[in-house]
Order: sequence, then structure tokens, then C-alpha cells
Amino acid sequence: MVTASVHVTDYHAELERVENDIAELAPIAFAFPLKSETVTKYLYRLYQRVSLNGRLDELRSVESAIDRAIDQLGPAEDLCLLKANLNFKLHRLAETQRALQMAPALSNRAEGRSLLADIDFQTGRYSEAKKALESLIEEDRTWDNLARLAHMQLKMGGFEAADRLYLEAEEELTAKQMRSYAWVELQRGLSNAMCGQNEQALEHFLRADRAYSGFWLIREHIGDLRGAQGDEQAALAIYDDVLRRVRKPELLQKMGELYQKRGEPAKADCFFDEALAIYLKSAEFGEVHYYHHLVEFYATARLNPGECLKWAAMDLALRDNFATQSALAWAFYVTGHPPEAVDKITQALDSGVQDAGIFTKAALIYQAAGLHDRSHACEHKAAALNGVGGFHVHI
Amino acid sequence: MADHNDPNAVNSIFSDVDVSAADLYDLFGYPSDDKTGREKVVIALTFAAVPEAGILDSDLLYRIQIHASPRIAWKGGDGHTLEGLLEYVDAVKDKYLGNLKTSEIRVHVDEQQRAVVRFFDFPGAGSFSTVLETNKVHEIPTPDGHSLKVYIGGRDDAFFNDLTGFFRSINYAPQFYHVPHTMTDLHELPIPKTLLELEGNYLFNYDPAEPLLGCGVKKNLPPGPYTWSGNKFKTDENGNFRFVYSGKDAQAGKNINAIILEVPIEFLTKSPAKNRIVNTWGESWVLKAANKVEGIPDHPVLLEHPWALFESSKLDDELKKYKLVDTDGQPFADAALSERENNRQLGANNFWLAPHFIKRLAHLGWGFGPSISALGLKTSFNHDNSPVSVHKTYSLALEAFPRVAKTLFQPLNMPDNSWNPKGLHIPLRRPFEIFIPNVCAIDMDTSGTWPFGRRLEDQVATRFLSMFLDMTADFNGKKYHIDLLNDQSLWDAAPIEPKTPPNPLNNDREFLKEFPYIAEPW
Repeated sequence: MVTASVHVTDYHAELERVENDIAELAPIAFAFPLKSETVTKYLYRLYQRVSLNGRLDELRSVESAIDRAIDQLGPAEDLCLLKANLNFKLHRLAETQRALQMAPALSNRAEGRSLLADIDFQTGRYSEAKKALESLIEEDRTWDNLARLAHMQLKMGGFEAADRLYLEAEEELTAKQMRSYAWVELQRGLSNAMCGQNEQALEHFLRADRAYSGFWLIREHIGDLRGAQGDEQAALAIYDDVLRRVRKPELLQKMGELYQKRGEPAKADCFFDEALAIYLKSAEFGEVHYYHHLVEFYATARLNPGECLKWAAMDLALRDNFATQSALAWAFYVTGHPPEAVDKITQALDSGVQDAGIFTKAALIYQAAGLHDRSHACEHKAAALNGVGGFHVHI
Repeated sequence: MADHNDPNAVNSIFSDVDVSAADLYDLFGYPSDDKTGREKVVIALTFAAVPEAGILDSDLLYRIQIHASPRIAWKGGDGHTLEGLLEYVDAVKDKYLGNLKTSEIRVHVDEQQRAVVRFFDFPGAGSFSTVLETNKVHEIPTPDGHSLKVYIGGRDDAFFNDLTGFFRSINYAPQFYHVPHTMTDLHELPIPKTLLELEGNYLFNYDPAEPLLGCGVKKNLPPGPYTWSGNKFKTDENGNFRFVYSGKDAQAGKNINAIILEVPIEFLTKSPAKNRIVNTWGESWVLKAANKVEGIPDHPVLLEHPWALFESSKLDDELKKYKLVDTDGQPFADAALSERENNRQLGANNFWLAPHFIKRLAHLGWGFGPSISALGLKTSFNHDNSPVSVHKTYSLALEAFPRVAKTLFQPLNMPDNSWNPKGLHIPLRRPFEIFIPNVCAIDMDTSGTWPFGRRLEDQVATRFLSMFLDMTADFNGKKYHIDLLNDQSLWDAAPIEPKTPPNPLNNDREFLKEFPYIAEPW
């Protein structure tokens, strides 16, 4: 018998399963005597819900619950791993390391080593990160480590190698891992977008959407691309749809930037205000994961050189890498400190990063410092990499 | 760099994947008891009832491979050497990796739960295909004039054993404790494997206060140590040992999904009089993500015709869209000998595991051998008269081999002659022949009882343990045999509690007299 049915997207179906599990486990998770399997599953589901719904503020309560479980059960490896992942998601690298150290063997497990490689990359230890990942992959070619290595290759200009690794990662994924597959497709699309191959990028994004329907993250990327292609109306419509589901401040900022570009400052301000409020509230809680967004916000959305410099310096103090170095360089540039800007952008470029956005900034910084040859070289490099250009995409 | 897009943002940090339809449970194979008409063989591949009994997962593909060959006796004589064994393995390897032409039955269900069944490279019929309704018995004609019986769907789990007892015997922590998924080194804990409880083995000894521990109930993993420092088996006030087994059926009331076939041997070989051994093994494959996006619509011809010829050249193109997950040939080949590691899922091609097989069997022998001796029975394993089980691992097969040579080479005695109804000169099988290659080798001149195949009613868990008995010894005036440990009189006389064979003697549901033989699901 064929019955009419409402189409439920893959995303909603998964979120519903997670919600159901949480509802079932919540009353018993912390019931005495504590069962480590039950409480671990409950905490993991809470974390998974945030990964799906994108509401990072909910991680505060998840973290409290993890700490409570560790307090009562001791530093079990899976609880510490969860805590480490949560911290990494929030860019708290020192806390990530501390969480791994709570269960001493964890740093030697594959999962712990992958996280340590991520930390290495985030703290500018690029060759150590690469070596660690290559070693992990030699032991076991898991899709996530292949994707990690692909990301590193991509940032350092190894576009073909990155695509090969992403493809290999996809080969490892089965029909039971469609969300992960969609995520890798997003990365492949992003790598195309980095090279200005917008049509190919869109193909990957649409394929991701077919693989795992209804996921706002995929829609957001499609919106970014539409904006980059100059179809602001389409981008606005998509962003608006995504924002109805998840109030991401960086997306609010993007909305504001689009309205600003369209000459609608009042509308832009509404979105900027809301984005800024969320950024600052998070920072008030001692969270650091929006620092880099605040740098961009004060550098582009609402120019405020002092604030830009402040957040850039704070971010770099936590994660000294080419991204934070170039952000601080840009902050020095907009605050009128050319020598410091040159110093930082040179440090960023010395990492070997191949990013059109960074080269574009470098060209302007060198130009302002009177280093015309270097400026031209960076301009050409940016053009060669063929970045997405006019529209700022957070990639 | 900082876009909240790390793989773990979408990845499952914990592999809390539910039981998968790719998890193969058992492969049964034996000459059919239905002697009307042509000689037939029954083959049944069972797997996890996911999403539920009677409903199959459309992302999965199952393969049953078949190859009929003559019976070949071991030519190594009584010389039990490592070189001889490795020569045997090499010969088998050459056979299976060479030009061996296997026939194959491949099954998957579509979104409407129709089973697409394809037959590849059968000697007379070639390749053809059919689409069947699930959960029904079908008789399908073949291009060469045979008739096959096929059932694809839910049934009662035909396996009956004390799984908890087995896991207790190997100190398998995840059955009893919540072991963090990262701690893969804490599955089989470094405590001697044993059939008798060890004095002071608090992690695994039966606790009357927690009778369900390991039977679905798990505790938090204590902080350790995870070793054992005792020096004797545990005994009660009457001097009786405590058996790690309970004889209870852990699979009672559980269902499986299955592919069950009854096929004439003439369909499998053009020389049925010569090719008396039907070698068969099963595999599960899961669709790759990339191919799920594209979709693999079944060819319209397949869906519109009751059976259709099919090109076998397309075989491998299809498999490229799937990933091999599990294989099944011999019971306990993976669980007991390969430690269920994914990278050891090699099916028939498990030759490179030969050294591991020797080391693992010796490791098990140091656990089970002393247990058997303590009960007053003779063991095939050389444990230097150790009074208690020992935890010992080997890095070299050469070092392990002398300990385990007899266990590997001894012919496994059968309890009576019913296995050989024609009274033919058929050599008894030896453990190394049984497990390498990892196939169910059905001898069509026997009843097909394990190890000459595997019948539904075989208590294979207990028969597996019998490998560690010395088959040259006598019990009550009769040579040890593979069902000795099923003999209640042995346990009645043994200094042990509970006085029970290790595993149940019968399935929870009676098997059927007619196809599909396995009982209906619960």
C-alpha cells in the first residue's frame, strides 16, 4: 500500500533521533548509581545535537554536564575525549590539551593524536601536524584523517593533492555516513571556490545537499557561493531561510554585509547589532571562538581599528597561525601601523599558505608600507589563485 | 582555518553504531534431508535483523560464493611440522587466488523490499537473475532446467549458545563493562583464558548478587589493574570448580534475517559424482556513500521478468560501489581465532592469517588446556602440566607451534557413524583444514554435520572447544569426540558446578522439517 507522506529531510530525521534519545536518557543519565555507558551516551547526544543545530551557546551546559560526569565517574577516556572535542570546537586549544591529559593514555590513541595534530596546525606547527596525520593515515586510512590532511594540503596550495585526499576520504564513507559524506563534499566545493571554480563548487554543494538533505550548513554554503557569484537576492533568500533555523552570528554578519553592499544601511545595522551582541555575549562568558569574527566585524562591518586590533591580538595569543597573523596584520593596517602590519603579514606568508584572501591583504599592506615589488607579487599571486574576490566568504 | 568545520563537527566521535545489517552471524550448509528427486544442498546465510526481522536494509548487498571440488585427503601423513602446515596453506592459497572459478549468488533488496537475486557463473545455467518477494518461499526455475528453493527474510536465530559464558572464558570486557571505545586494548583483558573460574578473578567470575551481569547488564569498568595475580582455579567448599559456562541459550527469543537456499548439486557442478565437496562462504557489503547519492536503479529487465539472463562481466563494476564489511565461513573463525578485527575479514582468502592462527590457538590453548586437565580430561595442548590457566601470547608462530601442533593436526573424532551414512572412506577433518580457508566445506557424502559442513542442530560452540581435547584419549571406553563436552554424564562426574554442558543442546525453537528449515521469527 502506498501512503502519502510528508517529506522529512535527512537532517531533521537525524535531529529527531538525537532529540528522542536525549528525552529518553535525560531522566536517567545522572540517576544514582551512575552508569558510565548511559551518561556517556547522553552527553554525546547533547554534543551531537549542538553539532547538528549549530547553537554553540548550548555547549556551555553540555560542558557543565561533562564536568559533572567526570567529577562523579573519574576521567574516563571517552568523557575526556568528548571534553577535548568540545574545547577544540570552541577554539580553546590549551583546554583541549588539558582534557586529553586528564586520561593519560588518550594522547596516544588515534582519536587523541588526531586532535593533537589539529592543535599543531592551529598553533602554526604545520610540519608536525602533517607528519602526525601522515603517520595516522599510514596506520589506518580513516576518512576524517584523510580529510584533515586534505585541508592542510589545500591551505598550503596543494590543490590537486587535497582533492585526491578528499576523494579517498569519500571512498571510505558508506551509505551509513551520509552526513560525513556531505561534509567532505562541502570541503571539495570550498576548495573549488578558493580557486574561483564556482560552478564546480556549486556542483559539490548540491551533491552534498542530495546526500544529506535539509542541513542548514549546506544551504549556508550555497548562499555564500550565490553571493560570490553576484546573485545577492538568492544569497539573501538562502541566508534568511537558514537564519530561521539557526541564529548564527557570523551569518547575521554576512546578511548585514550584503545589505550594506546593496545600500540598505538600516537593514544592515539590524543584522550587525544582533551579530555583535552574540559575539560579545559569548566573549563575556569567557569564550574565545568568536574572536576571529570580531576581528573581521570591526575590520569590515563596522570599522573600529582599536577593537579590531584588540580582538586580533587576543586571538593570536591563543592560536598563532597564518590566519590569526594575517588578521592581526590587517588590524595593524587599518589602525595605521604599517611596520607592524608588514611584520605580521610576512610571518603569515612565510608559513607557505596559499590563500587568495591573505595575498590580497598582503598586497595592500605592502603597498601602504611602500614595498611595491612585494605588493605586486602578492597581487599577482592573489589573481593567480583566483580567489572569490568581491564578496567576503568565510572560508 | 577557523570555520567550525573540523571533521569531528560532523563525525561521530564515538562509534556508537547500532547493530548493523552487515553483521553476518552464521553460515549453515549441509546435504538436504529431502532425498526426493535430485541430490540437493542447503545453504543458509544469517545476519542481524536490522532494521527488523523480515525487513532488509537496502544499502546492503550479500554474496554467497560457491565452488564444488573433489575431496582431497591430507597428504602430509603423521608428520606434524610447521613447514608441512605452511605448504598446505600455500597450496590452498594457490587454489583460491589462482584460477578458481566460483559461482555466486548475490542478493539485495530495493526500496520496495523486493529481493533482487542474481546468480553468476553457474556451470550449466550461466548467469541469470530474478526478483522475489521477501518472507516467502519461492521455487525458481533455472535456465538449465533445475528448480531452486529460495527464502529471503526474517527467521528465528538458529544459533544457540551461551555467549556470555564464551565471553567470560576469554575475559572479554565489553560484554560485562562499559569500556570506552578508545580503549581497544581493553577488550580481551590480559587475564588467562579459562573454562574454570580463576580464584580472585573478580572482574569476570560469576557473582550471584549480579546474575545478569554480562547478559545484557554492564557495569562501569573499574580502574584496574586488569591482570590476574592468582595461582589456582576457584573452588567451592566442596572442592568443586566453578564453570564459566551456564549452558543457557543467549540467543533464545532472538530473530535474524536470512538468505536460505536449497539447490541441486547438479546446478553447482557438471561433475556431481566427482565434486563432492561444496565449498561456500558469505560476505556482506555496504553501499558507498558516493553511490547512494547517485542511486543504483535496478535494471528494468530485472524487475519486469521473473528471471532474466545477466552479464557476469558487470559483476565487479557493481562491487566497486560497495565496501566489504563482514565474511562468514566457519563458526568461530573470526570470533575465536581472528579476534573480530575488521582488517581480518578475509573470508576464504585468509591464508596470510595462518601464522596468526597458530599463535592465537596457542594463546587459547594456554587458557583452555589447563582447565581441561584440571577436570581430569586429556588435552591436545601441551601446557607442561600447568596446574592453572596461563595468560601467554606469542610473537612468533615458530615458538607457538610445538605447543599447538597436536591441536592443529589431530583428526577430530565423531561421536558415532551417523555423519557418514554411506560408510565411505572419508578422512576425519583436522582443525587446520577446517579453518584455512575460512569456508564451509560441505561433504555431500556425509550428513553435513560440523566439520563436514554445518547443520542447524550442530552445537558448534561446544564442538569448537573439543579441539582442545586429546582425541586419542578414552572416556568411558570410547575415544574422545567432538560432542564429548555435550555429554551430561561427563559433567555429572566432574568436580564442577554447575553440572551442565557448556552450551545448550538444542535451539529454542524446533527446526522445521521442510524448507526453509529455520523456524519462523518470534
